[in-house]
Amino acid sequence: MAVKPIVQIRDLTKVIGKKTIIDQLSFDVYPGEVFGFLGPNGAGKTTTIRMMVGLMRMTEGEVLIDGSSIKTDYENAIVKVGAIVENPEMYKFLTGYQNLVHYARMVNGVSKERIQEVIQLVGLKGRIHEKVKGYSLGMRQRLGLAQALLHRPKLLILDEPTNGLDPAGIREIRQYLRTLAREENVAIVVSSHLLSEIELMCDRIGIIQSGKMVDVQRVNEFVKNDQAVMVSFEVDPLEHAVHAVKANFPDCDIEQSDRKVTLKIEHELIPEVTAVLVEKGIRVYGIQSSVKTLEDVFLEVTGGEQVV
Amino acid sequence: MSSIFHLVQNENMKIYRRIGTWVMMGLVVAAVLVAAIFTNMNASDETTNWRTDAESAIQQSEETLKNSEGMPKTFKDSQERSIAVNEYRLDNDIPPLESDSIWSFMDSSTGVVSLISIFTIIIGAGVIASEYSWGTIKLLLIRPASRTKILASKFIATLLFALFSLVILYISSFIIGGLFLGFNAVAQPYLTYSGGEVSETSMAVHYIVEYALASVNLLMMVTFAFMLSSIFRSSSLAIGLAIFLMFTGSQLTFILSQYDWVKYILFANTDLSVYFDGSPLIESMTLGFSLITLLVYFIVFLFLSWLLFTKRDVAA
Repeated sequence: MAVKPIVQIRDLTKVIGKKTIIDQLSFDVYPGEVFGFLGPNGAGKTTTIRMMVGLMRMTEGEVLIDGSSIKTDYENAIVKVGAIVENPEMYKFLTGYQNLVHYARMVNGVSKERIQEVIQLVGLKGRIHEKVKGYSLGMRQRLGLAQALLHRPKLLILDEPTNGLDPAGIREIRQYLRTLAREENVAIVVSSHLLSEIELMCDRIGIIQSGKMVDVQRVNEFVKNDQAVMVSFEVDPLEHAVHAVKANFPDCDIEQSDRKVTLKIEHELIPEVTAVLVEKGIRVYGIQSSVKTLEDVFLEVTGGEQVV
Repeated sequence: MSSIFHLVQNENMKIYRRIGTWVMMGLVVAAVLVAAIFTNMNASDETTNWRTDAESAIQQSEETLKNSEGMPKTFKDSQERSIAVNEYRLDNDIPPLESDSIWSFMDSSTGVVSLISIFTIIIGAGVIASEYSWGTIKLLLIRPASRTKILASKFIATLLFALFSLVILYISSFIIGGLFLGFNAVAQPYLTYSGGEVSETSMAVHYIVEYALASVNLLMMVTFAFMLSSIFRSSSLAIGLAIFLMFTGSQLTFILSQYDWVKYILFANTDLSVYFDGSPLIESMTLGFSLITLLVYFIVFLFLSWLLFTKRDVAA
């Protein structure tokens, strides 16, 4: 089954002066999926997003939104996009409602009812007629989301969408975005530095570093494709156990802590290690395997640079 | 895809929903009010017989004309004009405006146009630069409206602000002038002189023309500020530079008036009233020359604004 991608990015390149900020980036995003865009600071996430929405010119390459080129057919391409670029900065001297009216006027066919619907959706109903000046960061974030949704875009681009929200708000937005992708078949591109967020929200992840796409994979593959897992055995006596493991599995990494021996082994080997330990008369109190988190993978892929 | 009408509506909302805009409007009216109070205080009660004044003025002009061998043509013209107008007054019983009448007050209130120029420069400089300083430019530009259209809507909204302020000034100086000085001179016609003929026109129309002439400088300086705002994306720089040049420009051209090339400088051309009533800075200048020069400046200013607004990246 070939689903047509909503976003096609081909060899996207940005050169400023002599410096190549973005280097031949290519990826696709499909309808109904949440795509996480991950990378250390200065990797080029925001530059890429700015080029995707036409705020910056691309030096080379092409961005197609639902078949229309951002470069040559901007108005037809951008009408399918709703976005928040960095912080959702609004007109502070206007009310939330006036802000939405402002953006609604710039697209054809956004009715008053649609504005009300979106207000309800992002949960700003009670305070929409107050000036944005008095909004908290979380409320501004919701208003930002509202302006991006007004014209029912096929693609939603969100830069750090949960920034400034409290845990309940984060969960709400996360669930809302998932629903939007699932039920309305909207493609969502999310950039975030909160790895756990991306892990919970996204279907696929692209990791970018120094302007290059390092890896694009499905979230579950990302986390599980590396077969080796960390397994801790709570054993007594510890010395004997370490000795036994070293003798039988010379290739694996061993770490000891006060009552545990931790091994990096393939999932399939856990019963075998247990059998060896039991055979040697060592008491096994517990076996704990810890799956690698996205953070571990991320740090591995990007070479452990600072994330935030 | 989005219509220019809606975009202008948006820009208007962003201008008039701010208190600062209404403070400016208030100051315009306040300036008129203060002027009216002073005019009222200084009004002299002595009534002179305008007929004898007019007769003696005619005599005087005729005397000067007799001995005007070698005088410049513009000087002779103004004397002839004075004679014709005064004779027309005597024949048709139209007294000249008294210094404390509503229309001479309207005349002096054209000075408030320079205040409006400053305010419109502030609006025009802010209309682009503020979007950058607020960060709202990012959300503004990612819409199905070309940058050219957005820029056009901003320029139109700025001009509408100037127009709105001028209307406020016109109406408020008429009403306030009337309240303080009386409406009794309202029906008086304005006498124009051209080609040896004197004709009557409505005073109201005459002052609309006066305002329009006074607004040429406004239009040019606002377009200049608009361009600076697009180039530097900083409203303070645009406001500062535009207002500085507005006040020093005419002095600058005056100092340089010994050179012929000074006629190509913007400020040598912004005062069009010299072609109707007075003499131009440089003999060879004509109304047509000034209009073309102004048009060239205007197009260059707008072109540069457009170039820098549409072609540049919006980076952090």
